[in-house]
Amino acid sequence: MSQFALEVKSLTKKIGRKTIVDDVSFEVERGEIFGLLGPNGAGKTTIIRMIVSLINRTDGNVLVNGHDLDDSFTEAMNELGAIVENPEFYKYLSGYKNLRHYARMALSDITEDRLNEVTKLVGLEEAIHDKVRTYSLGMRQRLGVAQAILHKPSILILDEPTNGLDPQGIREFRDYLRLLASQGTSVLVSSHLLSEMQLMCDRFAIIEQGKLIHISNMHENESSEAKVLRTIEVEVSNSELAVKLLGEQMPEVKMASTEGARISLSIEKEQIPVVNKLFVENGIDVYEILNVKATLEDRFLEITNKDKKEQMV
Amino acid sequence: MIALIQNELMKIFGKMASWIYMVIIVLAVLVAGIIYMKFSADPNPNWRQDTQAEITMLENQMASASEEEKLMLQEQIDQTQEMLDKNINPTVKTNWHFMNDVVIGVSSLVTLFVVVVGSANVAAEFSDGTIKQLLIRPHRRWSILLSKYIAVIIYGLLLVLTLIVSGYLIGLVLFGSGDFNMKIFEVTLEGRKEAVVGTQFFLKMLYYIPSLLMIMTIAFMLSTLFKSQALAVGVGIFVLFFSSTLGGIILMLADKYTWAKFLIFPHLDLTVYALQERILEDITFPVSISILAVYYAIFMMVTFFFFQKRDISI
Repeated sequence: MSQFALEVKSLTKKIGRKTIVDDVSFEVERGEIFGLLGPNGAGKTTIIRMIVSLINRTDGNVLVNGHDLDDSFTEAMNELGAIVENPEFYKYLSGYKNLRHYARMALSDITEDRLNEVTKLVGLEEAIHDKVRTYSLGMRQRLGVAQAILHKPSILILDEPTNGLDPQGIREFRDYLRLLASQGTSVLVSSHLLSEMQLMCDRFAIIEQGKLIHISNMHENESSEAKVLRTIEVEVSNSELAVKLLGEQMPEVKMASTEGARISLSIEKEQIPVVNKLFVENGIDVYEILNVKATLEDRFLEITNKDKKEQMV
Repeated sequence: MIALIQNELMKIFGKMASWIYMVIIVLAVLVAGIIYMKFSADPNPNWRQDTQAEITMLENQMASASEEEKLMLQEQIDQTQEMLDKNINPTVKTNWHFMNDVVIGVSSLVTLFVVVVGSANVAAEFSDGTIKQLLIRPHRRWSILLSKYIAVIIYGLLLVLTLIVSGYLIGLVLFGSGDFNMKIFEVTLEGRKEAVVGTQFFLKMLYYIPSLLMIMTIAFMLSTLFKSQALAVGVGIFVLFFSSTLGGIILMLADKYTWAKFLIFPHLDLTVYALQERILEDITFPVSISILAVYYAIFMMVTFFFFQKRDISI
């Protein structure tokens, strides 16, 4: 058994003289949800399609659970389940027959029990014998998950899975992924929806113009190191006085903005009670102190902007 | 591979249209049978006397005819006499006569439906987007395409079987059971040919199969290459209905240009070999079937090569 569920090594795609994907490498660990993040047209879909061998690779290797796509194609493909963009089905067949269809294509024998188990997992017991034509988009998405996990793949690959789903559907979908990951299935998911990725992934890679420009751990943002400056928002009864006091007594605290009764501060962890004490001793009531997490979006923009600046220099 | 073919058959028969085509073939045979019964002359039990009378009448005409007319009349007399000699009743109608004369004609409909189903089989996977889910399985692309091809052939053979069985049964009901070994005359470009009616039917059917396979393969190739069912069906129908016309024109050109003989059209309809030995001086059945085999190999190679290499980006 390989250490990684998926290894992508210097993946490259050229069409004519244009390089769509440029030397992209990353690994997905077992039981991990790994995100591919980037604006539309950055090459995420091309990367995913090369991994699932819908598109030819110009260069590079893909190993699924240690099996190389070039050397042992069928073994590698059997370890992989995927939904590429919207899950499409044979609409004139029932959901059950669609699943049977894909079950027959697996290398291992997929029993009746397994089919029922998967159907139950995605909550389609009621509708499984109806024609797919009658399914809602959310139900199709769930059937998509079912066909992708039927053969118990090592890695589930999802390309823009939440496109077109309503918030309820997105939430359900996220729960499935968490459940699967907790059972040891790795997930590779692509999206341009940053907030969505933030809720879903353990780690993510940022793709821009076909290049992988950053890999990072999702939880780095929430680092509790004291020395790191964090942004907090304080709601007070008298913001003018508060600003004046801060300027006089604690000039090292940077004030980001003031909006009515709310003051945004860039501050170290130990200083938060000091500020609070200062306000209270001077007769200012403190209603709320809020730790504002840097969102993935901020991070994303920060990283891509930095990258652009570097390119300019 | 068996599982893949099973899947493809499930998809073909999951569509209502595939069943409707089968019903249409049975209906077409029925309608043709009724027309054949109503509009052709009834069997004449006294045909020997009538035929003898016809010969006498022709002989009377000869007496007062010019030299040219005499030759023609003599030929007619000879042919009619031959019927009497060999005891072949020209007016008899049995289920085997029905099959040999009429049911064979309905085979165009079989080709048409096989073209429609065959090209939909590949093109619909692209237009519905299901091809993405199909090709991310632990099977090589060529084996997936081959399973589709085989499934379409199975469907085609099923339609042929439907044609033969419904032809036999409807013939049985409308015309009664006939003698399989009854002798008939077939009119051909080389004059009249004596044949056994049942054998003749199955011979035509046998010669029909390669044509069916070729036209189906062309449609299958086009739908794989261009992902368009409309194009594949259009070209398929064109080939089906115009190949004999085109073939005829090409054969006329063949005197002048030798290469014209190697075009596919004159060879597509092999059923002519059930009637005659050759379609041109040097083109006999083995020549035609060899030329078709070469085209077949090329079509298959092109189809599978492009499918194997193609980037799926829909």
